[in-house]
Amino acid sequence: MSWPGFSALINAWWFFLLVPLIIFYFLKLRRPRFEIPSLALWRQVISDQRVNSPFQKFKRNLLLLFQILLLCSLITGAMRPYLSSGAQHSQYLPVLIDNSASMSALDGPNGKSRLDEAKDKVLKLIDDLLPDQRLCLISVNTSARKLTDFTDNKRLLRDAVARLEASQVPSRLEDGLRMAQAMSRIQAIDTVVLISDGNVPSDIDFELPYKLNFQKLNPGGSNVGIVEFNARRTRTGWDIFARVEGTGRPDNPMAEQKSSDTPPPKKSSAPGGQPPVANVMCEYELLQGGQQIKQESIHIDGGRAERLVFRISTVAATSLELRIKPDGFDALATDNVAYLELPAPRPLAVYCPRSMDTYRNALENMPDLNLYPGADDEPKIVDLKFAEGPLAVGPEARVNINVGFVPEDLANLVELVSGQTEIIDWRRTSPLLQHVQLLDVQIADDPKLAKGVSDRDFELAGYEILAQSGKGPLILERLSDVRADYQFLFNTDRSSLVYRVGFPILVHNATQIAAQRARLLDAKANPTGTLPSLRITPEIDIQISGPNSFSERAKSDKDGLLSGIGAPYVGSYELSGNGEPMKLGVSLVSSAETCLKTADRLTFPEVPVEAATTALKTDQPLWGWFATSALFFLLVEWWYFQKRPAGVPA
Amino acid sequence: MRRLTNRSRGEHLAGKGGTSTEFNDYRDYSAGDDMRYVDWNIFSRLNRPYVKLYRHEEEMHVVILVDASASMHFRDKLEKAKRLAACFAIMGLMNLEKVSLFACQHAGQTPQILAPCTGRVSMRRVFHFLENLPPGGDFPVDEAVEAVLKQHRGRGVCIVLSDFLTFGAMDRPMNQLYSAGLEIFGIQLLSDLELNPELTGDLRFVDSENGMTLDVSSVGDLIGFYHEHLAGLQDHLATLCRQRSGRFLCLDSGLSLETMLFDVLKRKGWVQ
Repeated sequence: MSWPGFSALINAWWFFLLVPLIIFYFLKLRRPRFEIPSLALWRQVISDQRVNSPFQKFKRNLLLLFQILLLCSLITGAMRPYLSSGAQHSQYLPVLIDNSASMSALDGPNGKSRLDEAKDKVLKLIDDLLPDQRLCLISVNTSARKLTDFTDNKRLLRDAVARLEASQVPSRLEDGLRMAQAMSRIQAIDTVVLISDGNVPSDIDFELPYKLNFQKLNPGGSNVGIVEFNARRTRTGWDIFARVEGTGRPDNPMAEQKSSDTPPPKKSSAPGGQPPVANVMCEYELLQGGQQIKQESIHIDGGRAERLVFRISTVAATSLELRIKPDGFDALATDNVAYLELPAPRPLAVYCPRSMDTYRNALENMPDLNLYPGADDEPKIVDLKFAEGPLAVGPEARVNINVGFVPEDLANLVELVSGQTEIIDWRRTSPLLQHVQLLDVQIADDPKLAKGVSDRDFELAGYEILAQSGKGPLILERLSDVRADYQFLFNTDRSSLVYRVGFPILVHNATQIAAQRARLLDAKANPTGTLPSLRITPEIDIQISGPNSFSERAKSDKDGLLSGIGAPYVGSYELSGNGEPMKLGVSLVSSAETCLKTADRLTFPEVPVEAATTALKTDQPLWGWFATSALFFLLVEWWYFQKRPAGVPA
Repeated sequence: MRRLTNRSRGEHLAGKGGTSTEFNDYRDYSAGDDMRYVDWNIFSRLNRPYVKLYRHEEEMHVVILVDASASMHFRDKLEKAKRLAACFAIMGLMNLEKVSLFACQHAGQTPQILAPCTGRVSMRRVFHFLENLPPGGDFPVDEAVEAVLKQHRGRGVCIVLSDFLTFGAMDRPMNQLYSAGLEIFGIQLLSDLELNPELTGDLRFVDSENGMTLDVSSVGDLIGFYHEHLAGLQDHLATLCRQRSGRFLCLDSGLSLETMLFDVLKRKGWVQ
């Protein structure tokens, strides 16, 4: 047992008020006068009662006793007493609250969501806040958001907790941890509290500069949801693939065996464990443009994933919606629907100057491809462009293959000189170089690095080296959301590559990359978080409206790129302002969130963090009890003082 | 029951033989007896002289002492006492007794006296005396009895109408009354506040007679003690009266006069 401490011991001086209180009590004691026929009997009674009741003096001054108790309670409350938990408390305590999609999972029918449970924990922290402590609430999902600054204002903190809602995006802790790290540069932060259901990536690429107290919540109930929804283009239409998965057994069978041998922990005392295994019938329906085209039932057995395959024949752009209805309790509702936007099929637009004969020869034999310049007028934007010089010739492209020159941004790093070299290593897993054999390819150009330049300088410039000679890089790659640039630092026509069987494969790979980027080969459901980048009319205002009254305005840049638009909710978003309104469906489609798998241990580069089995120890402030006692004594004293003695006529 | 009576003739039978018409007993003739009282019929049969004895009727003095101090002015106690006194006086006058009334008010002063009177014609005087009896004063009943006995002469009954709430002891005045040949009839008149006080809280009691104060805390806790002491006082007074061939009765001043007379007093045998 620990003795209570006092945060404001100086207020004990107020106890001297007891002296004037007692003096004034006896000076100002007021008794109602009551005339009686004779005091004869009452005098006998009083003298007799004094003999019989040793506590008479105490009872006679009951009003004084109440006043002393009231004053003592007030002063003790003002001294801010607290029961020490034994743990050293932090003055500044950031609290990371996971509000990813899995936090809205219920623990049973009409049950409590994980976020509600997290809120209860945070409210307990707020209630136990000591006078010199400051809390900072940070919500964490895919990104982190600071809900409050460091404050001891409990009303502010409670309001922030009340406003916090579960998002519909997957979880990622790095942002929240980095935000706490940034705070630690201003305030001395010793410990950061993380309140989560454990449905987070267990391996976190972040070096902890502070202690992390991982408060793991109890797992949610069983859940079934759509974890994948994509399509692959066929000659006649699309093959649609979907995967429905449920909460399943632990990945580690030894852990399962161990858990089956040991009795299950009590839910209230040791939060942890995994959610119940889903074993339900599930009805699904597929809608195309709002019309139902398929409806069937599947059985999700032990959380095992079920793969659904459909075939759609269409030559126009269309929207698909897949809905599932589990026959039983489902912890998470947001993963029961998924949307897929299928673009209209079209040939790949490729620009290749006539001077690049070797490339044109390779391209001409490929199907579903429009080669420019050609018979038709070339469009403003093509999917793939080959260039052999730095001059901006031809249309813009999403994928650029630049051959035989050094771009401007690399001019101070590398220089092309004549010479003899060969490729000594290349990245075989790169989409461009897949199945391309570059061994013994002779190259008549010899890119020469500037003095003091290393591979790191290319990485800093945004390039990645795909192929390398003995002196420097030969093939570079630079990727962004809307553009992919491949830089050949040698002229392929002055190499033996064009005579190799790998050359047409390389060109084919380039077209595949372009088709992939143009979404001509396959389509995937857009995950929540942000909408995919779109290329529309440059510098035009777009109004975005979505589910849950979501509304946002955005403007495309000078290149017509519209990006960075948030899509926090699952549902269909409408983009208007650029001609015909465009609809985009956004789905959760996260296996991690749907399976509700929880990690008991977070692995950081150097230190693992185990989930705490006990609630965070905090000092228990007691001033509220004393304030309540004071109010009680005040009320009793008021009642006792105002009470007219019974029997006394008004 | 034989009453204490005066020597003068009256309506009450005396213990000794008298000249009334009511036969009492025979006794042997002795020399000097009045020959007129010899029963000649007995003499003719028994041949011995017997004297016929007749009852002797003497006068009884009814003394009514009304405590008119301030304590009796509480909740119509004095009013009830005056009415009861009037009733007892009427009963005495109607029975041709000698009735005198005393009212005690202020300590150290001579009690107000209605001189002994008799017969119906005295009723008016009785009523006038009682009606004009002002309340107030601090005459304790024990001292009042002594003051009354200084004024009174004669045997009979003394009806004391008081609340008997006095700081003094009642033994001495009771003895004095008995020694004066007065049979004591004590009637204690108490109001509901004195019989069943329902008080709580902290109070400052003020004595209605002398203005003295007494601070009492948690009165509600003391009610039990109060009842014990009140019962003790009544037992003590009843014992004092009984030991002196008297009677004692406590009446609630809230009762009506009819209830007092024809219910309580009749059942107790005080009136017939």
